[in-house]
Amino acid sequence: MRTLRRQRAATPAAPGLAVASTRRDALEIADLTITYSSGGYAVTPIDRFSLHVDSGQLVLLVGASGCGKTTLLSALASILTPESGTIRLGDTDVTALRGRDLVTYRRHRVGIVFQSFNLVPSLSAAENVQAPLWAAGVPSSRARARAQQLLEQVGLSDRLDHRPGDLSGGQAQRVAIARALAHDPPLVLADEPTAHLDFIQVEGVLRLLRGLAAPGRILVVATHDERLLPLADVVVELTPRAVPASRPRQRRELERGAVLFAQGDPGDLVYLVDEGEIRLVRHRVDGTDEHVANVPPGRYFGELAPLYGLRRSATAIAEGHTVVTGYTVADFRSLERDAVEIDGPPPP
Amino acid sequence: MWRISLRDLQWRQRRFVIAVIATGLVFGMSLLMAGTTYMLYEEGRRIVRSFGADAWLVAADASGPFTATTPVAAAAADETATVAGVDAADPVVIVHSTLHQDPPRDINVIGQPPGSFAVAEPTRGRAVTADGETVADVGLGFALGDTVRVAGRDLRVVGLAEQVTWYFGTPTLFVSLADAQAIAFGGQSLATAVVTAGTPEVAPAGLRMLDEAQVVTDLQRPLKSSTDTVTLLNSLLWMVAAGIIGSLVYLSALERSRDFAVLKATGSTNRGLLGGLVLQAMILSGVSAVVAVLVAAVLTPMMPFAVEIPVSTYVQLGVVVVAVGLVASVAGLRRTVKVEPALAFGGA
Repeated sequence: MRTLRRQRAATPAAPGLAVASTRRDALEIADLTITYSSGGYAVTPIDRFSLHVDSGQLVLLVGASGCGKTTLLSALASILTPESGTIRLGDTDVTALRGRDLVTYRRHRVGIVFQSFNLVPSLSAAENVQAPLWAAGVPSSRARARAQQLLEQVGLSDRLDHRPGDLSGGQAQRVAIARALAHDPPLVLADEPTAHLDFIQVEGVLRLLRGLAAPGRILVVATHDERLLPLADVVVELTPRAVPASRPRQRRELERGAVLFAQGDPGDLVYLVDEGEIRLVRHRVDGTDEHVANVPPGRYFGELAPLYGLRRSATAIAEGHTVVTGYTVADFRSLERDAVEIDGPPPP
Repeated sequence: MWRISLRDLQWRQRRFVIAVIATGLVFGMSLLMAGTTYMLYEEGRRIVRSFGADAWLVAADASGPFTATTPVAAAAADETATVAGVDAADPVVIVHSTLHQDPPRDINVIGQPPGSFAVAEPTRGRAVTADGETVADVGLGFALGDTVRVAGRDLRVVGLAEQVTWYFGTPTLFVSLADAQAIAFGGQSLATAVVTAGTPEVAPAGLRMLDEAQVVTDLQRPLKSSTDTVTLLNSLLWMVAAGIIGSLVYLSALERSRDFAVLKATGSTNRGLLGGLVLQAMILSGVSAVVAVLVAAVLTPMMPFAVEIPVSTYVQLGVVVVAVGLVASVAGLRRTVKVEPALAFGGA
């Protein structure tokens, strides 16, 4: 995981999306760890993650699928409860919210632009924007006026009464952005906002996103789209960093029960068993372990995590006195090219 | 939230219309069955009331004048007339017979002395004033002046009466006491009951006295198993209605899982969403009730047995509509509560 702070590129902002209030809430994430169950296995995509974001900044969360971008967004939206750590938005401890406070936070403090727009198909564009206002008990006339104002600002004043099915992808995404801004929240989260758009539609959405990150508002965007990089003040790479190709091979001697790597650790090296035996186990959320395989001498294991930038999907434990050698992916490939007699991992 | 529920109904209007028609037919059948049950009881009340008698005297071991044909001497009426409290007393013969036609038609025969206080005025024509005459129920389809053959006797129709049926709409012929005695007892001077104007202080020896309510209760007694069955079927119909609406609400909740997740993530509460489901179920149920009233209005004249739906049945339908709506909305309740707002972050 890596955080880069940078100078945002000058991009023409969309007019009229300025923040109404004078608040300057900062976002503070400290030692955040999120674990959830996936197919019965405990997965920890966010592990002791910390980040400080000032008001007005645009944060990009980047990384491969499954690296925890959406998980982090869910935690920021207070939809997912982290295992440990805190998220603070201004004076609000987001991770401690419960009941009525949680509903108030979701209504007034955070706006979400969902992947695939996720507009309610039975509602018109204006009604989709009004929906969060209705939920908060805002009078109908005020809600309607606010929706009109926002849809005008995103350039959809002529599409107020169109249903999502009658809108293009770019228009639907702009409605989704307007909906996220309905309560003028200090934190706006966007999950893959350009994923379903062609390059013409992306342009308008990029301009809007750029305009959203103004003083008084923080914008956090999870994306695969590198076109967003110039917009960012902060870029967070959630994919585990690859080990440098030039790193020397690493010989490790382990005594019985010693853990070589744990499930959820970033994957760095491919290991070859020289002596002894390695037992691979997966931890289930119910606390039990599932035996995956035993790796005898001459066989390798743990190649997928470093190859694809994934986290370890199992824990490697020495069965007795064991000696292994760790190779970078590049070294391991040369080893294969040199026709060294090695076997693949045993079938699980 | 109610606006979202209304829009959803509009959005799924075809399904809504189908469900309303199906439920409307079910409610309509329920109304007709309730109307039938009501008429089974009401026709008994009407025929008893048509005598205008303050007391009925039957053989001591007879259950009642309409359910048992235990004869007493017609002269018992003369003895009864002398009892304190009695202004007038007349013998009546009430028997079941058939019209001589192909196929034979079941009829009730009531014989009264011409000019008796208990003789009701017919709707058309005049009352029986001599032997060989009859007043017939309009349901038999006779016209004034027609001749009717019963138990070998020809009777001329001099009057037509309405709403003079009992036991599932069996029509009645009013004849003279002598004709009735000829039909039932081979001309013997017998009666099945004595009716009085004024209430006797004591019943003459060998007779049992019943008031109007007791006679009605006795007349309705054999109907109980039939009407209990109809009531049970009615309850089943309400369950079918709840099932139809419940299926629609459940399907709607199932298909709107993503919408619910989005709405929850943007600050809607479970209570608000459930309120929307209840509203949908109530609207479906209510509109179905309106359709049911129309269905019943169209079908009532076509029913072979005269059906009359009392106001109380419509009131009951209103209560059933609310109950069915509430029960049906329970179908989507669990589904709605279980939807996690995190689902909103999923892709298309």
